[in-house]
Amino acid sequence: MLNDFMKKFFGKSSSKETAKKRLQFALVYDRLEVSDDILKDMKNEIVAVVSRYFVIDQNQMKLDITRKNDLSALIFNTPIISAKARQRMA
Amino acid sequence: MQGKIIVISSGKGGVGKTTATASIGAALAMGGKKVAVVDMDIGLRNLDVVMGLENRIVFNIVDVVHGRCKVQQAAIRDRRIENLYLIPASQNDNKDALTPKDMIRISKELRKKFDFILMDCPAGIEQGFENAVAAADEAVVVCTPEVSSIRDADRVIGLLYAKEIPPKLLVNRIVPAMVEKGDMLSHQDVVDVLSIDLVGLVEEDNQVVVSTNSGNPIVMQDNSKAGQAFKRIAMRLNGQPDLPIEVSGVSKSFWKKIRSKIGFGK
Repeated sequence: MLNDFMKKFFGKSSSKETAKKRLQFALVYDRLEVSDDILKDMKNEIVAVVSRYFVIDQNQMKLDITRKNDLSALIFNTPIISAKARQRMA
Repeated sequence: MQGKIIVISSGKGGVGKTTATASIGAALAMGGKKVAVVDMDIGLRNLDVVMGLENRIVFNIVDVVHGRCKVQQAAIRDRRIENLYLIPASQNDNKDALTPKDMIRISKELRKKFDFILMDCPAGIEQGFENAVAAADEAVVVCTPEVSSIRDADRVIGLLYAKEIPPKLLVNRIVPAMVEKGDMLSHQDVVDVLSIDLVGLVEEDNQVVVSTNSGNPIVMQDNSKAGQAFKRIAMRLNGQPDLPIEVSGVSKSFWKKIRSKIGFGK
């Protein structure tokens, strides 16, 4: 509290602030390390769901986890060949 | 009796797992509970020297698991603190001498004989870790306010959650004066980063080294800050969660703090 206030006052950052920021960054990255098996499973499941609604080109699709600034994103990119006629389930 | 098994882990070595295990075990026993502390660091045993019981080892945990002796024969009774027992590690085997299955099997017997069983987990997340956590009901994760220790603690916390063992955090070796100056992460910073509940805070205390030198329990010293902190942690683990977690701070008045911040006085 007081430290934050003083930081604004003098524009100085304490070493613990640096440590905290570095840690938060490192941990987000660590926690995102997903094994290939899990990624494969997830990909298959997403394909299954999307295929219910669209015909997609499975050879062109991509699944990536990326980081930009402070955000992590799961990007699923696939060309759509056509929409499937929707069939309502009974 | 249906004892509770608590594993004391950390990921990183040298953060005070063994001292914490010995101290919390001693404090629980002083509170009237029957306690077994188990050294799970097979091949690199240390809990025995920290507790000052190294000269009395006959059998060890590997002997118990392999049926070479009974639990009662391996458990060394502490003569200073009633109801405190140490089951030492073997020094000649390696971590493969035990399996998680073995631990689950003998834990049934341990639960019958003790109120609390504290497992001193080895550093790392390999076989020794797997053995130590196999039968645990709860976990205490020890970390110091340093980046390396916190990062490893995060990894261990993740693994414990995956095994459905609820972990709580013990922040060890806090230097209040450094926290005050903004040169050390405060316990609140650590909690923010790890998002986990605290079980206690322990200040850096030179008395720990002194008492380890002679193998005396730090919790028996009323003038030791760390000893008293471990006592409070034992009380919380023994079902007194309402006990406030004290912020170790430099005892300065509010106005003195303000003055020192703006550069008047010290």
